[in-house]
Amino acid sequence: MSDAKDKVLAREIYKRFDETVALSGCSLTINPGEIHAIVGENGSGKSTLAKILSGVVLPDSGTVSIFGETPRDPMRARALGVATIFQEVLVAETLSVVDNIFAGTDSLWNRSRTRAEARDQSRKILRRFTGSEINPETLVQNLPLSVQQWIVIARALLANPRVLILDESSAALDLDATARLYFEIRRLRDEGCCVVIVTHRIAELIRVADRATVLRDGAVVGELVGTSISESNLLSMMSAKHVILETKVKPPPLTERPAGNVLLSAIDISVGPSAPRFDFHLRAGEIVGATGLDGQGHTDFLRVVAGLSPPFSGGISVAGRNAPESVRYLSEATAKGIAYISGDRAHDGIFPNLSIFENFALPLYRSTFGEFGWIYQRPLEQAFVKEIRRLSIKVARASKLITSLSGGNQQKVLIGRALAGAPRIIILDDPARGVDVATKQELHAQLKDFAGRGGAVIYLSSEIEEFFDFADCVLVFRSKTLFRTLPSTNFSEHALLAAMFGDLEALTPASNMEGAKRT
Amino acid sequence: MKTDFHPVFQRNQQLIAPIVLVALLLLVAMLRAPRLFTIDGVGGAIIVGTPLILAALALTPIVLVGRGGVDLSVGPLLGFIKVTLVKWLVETGHSSPIVVVAYIVGSGVLYQVLIAAIIIYVRVAPIIVTLSGYLVLTGINLVILDRPSGVAPEWMQGWGYGTSIFSPVFFILMAMVILWFVFSRTVFYQQILLTGANERMAFANGVNTVAARFGAHIVAGVFTAAAALAYTALIGSGDPTQGNTYTLSAISALVLGGTSLAGGSGGGLGSILGAISMYLISYVLSTYNFGSVSGFVTQMSTGVILVISLLINSLMNRRA
Repeated sequence: MSDAKDKVLAREIYKRFDETVALSGCSLTINPGEIHAIVGENGSGKSTLAKILSGVVLPDSGTVSIFGETPRDPMRARALGVATIFQEVLVAETLSVVDNIFAGTDSLWNRSRTRAEARDQSRKILRRFTGSEINPETLVQNLPLSVQQWIVIARALLANPRVLILDESSAALDLDATARLYFEIRRLRDEGCCVVIVTHRIAELIRVADRATVLRDGAVVGELVGTSISESNLLSMMSAKHVILETKVKPPPLTERPAGNVLLSAIDISVGPSAPRFDFHLRAGEIVGATGLDGQGHTDFLRVVAGLSPPFSGGISVAGRNAPESVRYLSEATAKGIAYISGDRAHDGIFPNLSIFENFALPLYRSTFGEFGWIYQRPLEQAFVKEIRRLSIKVARASKLITSLSGGNQQKVLIGRALAGAPRIIILDDPARGVDVATKQELHAQLKDFAGRGGAVIYLSSEIEEFFDFADCVLVFRSKTLFRTLPSTNFSEHALLAAMFGDLEALTPASNMEGAKRT
Repeated sequence: MKTDFHPVFQRNQQLIAPIVLVALLLLVAMLRAPRLFTIDGVGGAIIVGTPLILAALALTPIVLVGRGGVDLSVGPLLGFIKVTLVKWLVETGHSSPIVVVAYIVGSGVLYQVLIAAIIIYVRVAPIIVTLSGYLVLTGINLVILDRPSGVAPEWMQGWGYGTSIFSPVFFILMAMVILWFVFSRTVFYQQILLTGANERMAFANGVNTVAARFGAHIVAGVFTAAAALAYTALIGSGDPTQGNTYTLSAISALVLGGTSLAGGSGGGLGSILGAISMYLISYVLSTYNFGSVSGFVTQMSTGVILVISLLINSLMNRRA
């Protein structure tokens, strides 16, 4: 048993939520001084496993042992040295940065540090992570999502964890920030910490993981160690469907899709106050990618073309029956066939307290399946069934809450909703955030199909691998403006990264880490 | 982050509006009724204002701990403590200060523990639970005492004169305010705030949210007891219905003080300032002669000022 004293063990864990089986007989061992990745498709039970290890969720049966003890609640887990960075950015928005970073660190009867010390430490760690000065008394609600994510990370790291669990923690971070995060994780590993990472970003985990456990349908299907952790090994274990891999080095040449008429034009727009202006045209049949480092304007651009926020100058117009018609509001954009899908499902996508069907149907009542305030229930249900089948969404019952679905399946429902509205243009803001590879490929195939039928797609992603063999061109944003447009013939990881970082001469991992101070 | 306030301001931004409001009202009072600034005036103001200040403070932790918890029953609870004090203790001769204090604190805390247990374990929305509490206590108060009668304990007889600033009520107020500031510097208070701001986050980070919720209610019980004592000093006789008005006044004071009813944001200083504003509003308006409708004018004005101060708060938030 002395062996268990310095390890984290999970033995024969079973957990079900109503009808959904999350884990069925899952066992794993996490050694100190190792970065242990947990990989699997959507709904394979990764996040549940992370929650069980951190004491937030209790297993139905099976045991968890953290250095020989079993955490029954988060308080106990914390006392055992477990720090978890959850998938959602868990912050108290109405409280200050320092309150958030040191949440739960003090016991009731003695404080570990004075307020001034806490302020000082917050300032230092955020300066190290974000490269900018952040007043520790600022309310968290006034900070961008990426800083909020850093606050959550800082909270875990400052707890001096013996077990660090990261559940999709790099999702809200850009490449540069992710590199800094992994630097911290490696440092902790070298100090003997047990590190568990749950991530969909396979490229990342290949770089950092010492050991990888692959889950499928709530059970372990295999474990890879060291150099055997490779993309093909992982994917073939992960998916029963055997995802076909495109090689990243040489993407197969894309067959030129015939470019159609201009569907949407943005003339002379700027997406930030006094940001440089640019033009943009979207043609029928086109899939346009958009990317950039955090806060460089690609998200603003998407919101502008989707009609969510007005441009700072210039205007958007959509091809009408005769002449282009300008789009100024979201309602006009929707009426003219622009559908927008946010990657931030929890905030901008789902109605958490409504059912799967209602989530699918709500925005469609008026536009497509209703007249004079009357809903055509049957066609709506038929459309629902059709989209569920088309996107192969695992739905137990349509009347269940949308939150009973896994993240990837929630995203699929939202995409089905957009497709059912028969749009001409679909705009997606990082839809693959926290979605597994198979779902991502299905999504790409659906969008290609949509474009093939004369639609047009704008697709934002922070993961540049996504664009290969998918987008016709990629818009790279920098300093709140369109910095470069790369056609598919010029795609390479290097070219895209170089453009994102403003054409650095050599893109070594070191310059990747320190490069591009945010302005 | 252009407006890089001093940390203290940044944390207490919601206090700016209540401070300005109190200052404005004091200015008007100075012009209209300088009598407020005499010893008698201040003494009287303390006697009249203290029950409201303490009732607003009692509500504060319950609101801060979140889930939309507002204790609607704070007024009837005040009434209940007072009515039973007059009827059960004084009339039976158990009126020594120690017995009285033990009784009021005990009953206030006991009631709040009961309410908290229902909210936590039955998982009913707090507003429903406290609304039920309001109705039940209102009924019980009338059963115990069907019309105003009875007297305060003998040792409290002179407390309501307000002829000097340093009356016993003043010392109760000071003691409770100091108690509040000690409380607000504890880790426990921090955990109440965290629970109110984001319960899932607090739970996941090892905060005992159940304990935080119970604790918030217990603190509320203690402050309600103090409010009941101050209220007994103000009006000696037991009155079964008069206490109910404190519910809405205390909620108004709390909101005027910049505390968010959504939880996790605000504090006791705001509630104190809000309660002072409430007192000053009615005081200033009483200097105008509205005849028989003056009560309505006071309510109406309070409502208008409440809306305006909420607008100012939300505007300031947007600018930040």
